[in-house]
Amino acid sequence: MKQSFLFFFSFMAVLLWWPPFAGADDVGEVKPTESQTFKAGDAGYANQSLLDKFQGSLFADFRVLTYGVIQEPNNTTQNPNNNFLQIPHYTADVELRPDLRFDSKYLELSAKPRAKLELREWEDGSRSGETQWKDDWYVNEWLVRLNAMNKVYVSYGRENLQWGPSFIFSPSNPFFRDNGRSNPYTEVLGMEFGRLVFIPSSAWTMSFIVNTDEGRNMLVWSEPFEKTYALKVDYMGGENYASVIISEKDYKKTLGYFAGWTVSDAVTLYSEGSFTQGSQALYPKKDLSILGAPMQKVHEDDSEIEPIILLGGSYTLDGGGTLTLEYVYNGPGYSKEETETYYKLRRYGALAFNLGNILPSPVGPLVGAWGQQTLIETFYPGLKMLQNNYAMLQYTQTNILNKIDLTLRWTENCDDSSFQVLTIVSYALGNHMELFTSGILNTGGEETEYGSLIKYQVMFGIKFTL
Amino acid sequence: MKQMHKKNSLTRELTSTMQYKLREQNILKFAGRTIRHSRGHHTMLFVFVFVSVFFCLNFFTPVVNAEMSPKEMLQKADEARGNMEGIQWNISMDSLENGTEQHRKLKVIARGYDSFIDTLEPANVKGQKLLMQDRNMWFSKPDLSKPVPISPRQKLMGGASNGDIAATNYADDYKIVHTSEGAVKDEPCIVMELQAVDNKATYDKIKYWVSKERLVGLQAEFYTVSGKMFKTAVFEYKNTVMINEKPREFISKMTITNAIMKNDVTTIHYSKPILKKVSNAVFNLNIMTK
Repeated sequence: MKQSFLFFFSFMAVLLWWPPFAGADDVGEVKPTESQTFKAGDAGYANQSLLDKFQGSLFADFRVLTYGVIQEPNNTTQNPNNNFLQIPHYTADVELRPDLRFDSKYLELSAKPRAKLELREWEDGSRSGETQWKDDWYVNEWLVRLNAMNKVYVSYGRENLQWGPSFIFSPSNPFFRDNGRSNPYTEVLGMEFGRLVFIPSSAWTMSFIVNTDEGRNMLVWSEPFEKTYALKVDYMGGENYASVIISEKDYKKTLGYFAGWTVSDAVTLYSEGSFTQGSQALYPKKDLSILGAPMQKVHEDDSEIEPIILLGGSYTLDGGGTLTLEYVYNGPGYSKEETETYYKLRRYGALAFNLGNILPSPVGPLVGAWGQQTLIETFYPGLKMLQNNYAMLQYTQTNILNKIDLTLRWTENCDDSSFQVLTIVSYALGNHMELFTSGILNTGGEETEYGSLIKYQVMFGIKFTL
Repeated sequence: MKQMHKKNSLTRELTSTMQYKLREQNILKFAGRTIRHSRGHHTMLFVFVFVSVFFCLNFFTPVVNAEMSPKEMLQKADEARGNMEGIQWNISMDSLENGTEQHRKLKVIARGYDSFIDTLEPANVKGQKLLMQDRNMWFSKPDLSKPVPISPRQKLMGGASNGDIAATNYADDYKIVHTSEGAVKDEPCIVMELQAVDNKATYDKIKYWVSKERLVGLQAEFYTVSGKMFKTAVFEYKNTVMINEKPREFISKMTITNAIMKNDVTTIHYSKPILKKVSNAVFNLNIMTK
């Protein structure tokens, strides 16, 4: 398998240097001083050979990323001594990212094979001083799409299917927890979808979507995968847009939406949200057990509607920079009392996890297993955000001095006052290379949402595009 | 002088086209027979004038604009800059800003108020896409998980705004508050002062020179709300498209100069305009590939 990928990537690199494919869409030098007369449909398409048409339908990109990451895990009850999550302090990565596409009148094929080589090093916990090489060869996305009369599109494949205007996260998307906005250099892993898209007019679109498999987006400690079905209806106005998504997973229905309005040349407003009856997430429940409150789906059969509502707006300055502000009310999130119980349970879990290696058998392993299971559930309780109220402020500016793109983002959990500062900077070195760096700084105590895992993370690297 | 110039160009075009069409359709023969059989010089004169007007009306686009209102002239000028039912063209942009050069090659598909822009060069920005559906705009690139909604004010590159490379619709987006006579390189123009009809237009105020003869925009000055001129543009129309079998001048170059930093210049070359029916799917986010 690896050898096949190696051969394929090498072949791709050579192919992209070969002029006919280097710019399949390249129409040659522009000669603006020549007067050119064109008739309707005069692309010369009808007179092209089959090979020319085939070449004209092929598109390819090849990107190589090489980067390093330095991060400091926080010693908290979620990750005691970094023995639970075992977050490496240093990583060095090389990623090969070819994107291939064949796009003809009726058929579109695309594939995004990936190769990732990573060196990891730990500085604390049970793996202190250890280094590990890891390689991963996979197809992150692929797609087969048929086009019927430019109105009906049927597709199946592995996709990173995202939508909506929000930055913090996308509450209307029932498939992905991560919307990929926190780090553009890390790809969101694809899942398998079947889609039927009907475009009856320029204003309306209807999509029927089935999430048939988790694909690459496997959460190690999550529940067994369940198919999700969704019906999405999109409306596009002159200066506004709106979408409604009705989804069903395991007989539980969710109504999602997003909408936006271009108020003026500089101002946009938007909103995104979802409404679910009850909640499928795990909540800390107080009981009389000696080991404290276990995590359970206590709101699974509730009749109450739990809304997640995000409101956002952006203003673009004359100089081109854009300020964006978002606020989220996360209805399913933990209340203050639930949060206190949650952190108390986490303390017990961490204690049990540590005792598992100290106490003799058979008590030790049992206690350790309970501790591990508790920490798994507190790490991923099934909520997109832990508590109720969040705010985000962001400044972005692209093409500074024709070379630099900058993003500064501050995100706060308004309930526990922990926050995260994110910086992403890229610098173009010529037409093929780009230097990039991203930094994350988390603040808050050990028992806060943003203080629970890592103190800081710095990523720096080079991206080369053929 | 102006009338002489008009008469000369009209006569030249009339003569060449008339000769071609008359030879093909034997109109001369018909006219000759008609003239021979007619009575008197008045009939001959009438036929001659009729035939001349007939060919003027059918084989010249645009027609002499003596009777056109400024609004109609502005609509005609918009046609020459892409406000059509469907068009695809390639654009090469060169920007010099603060001494730094930048180049982009783009493929643009436009229909009415909608545009789809795909970046072709250079390699490190290849695959960046900009989708505009009227005033809704999204930006996408291969590294982004999902398209980002952006506002019309966000710059494309250099001194060019997103609206500069897509179709223009000054006739609907602006009202003409004042007209006057002017000229660009000795070509007679009507100078229109355009005011945005609402705060959704890209520019608050434009001063636009439209050629009286060719009905194309030759020069423009762009102003902020406070009345400060911040950039100027000059247009060339060396492309020609055929519409209903009639040749129509079409934009080939736009040169944008920063009004304050006059060394900051962005040049946009428009090439290979292809008229074609553009489907709704081209402007649909659900279908757009990343």
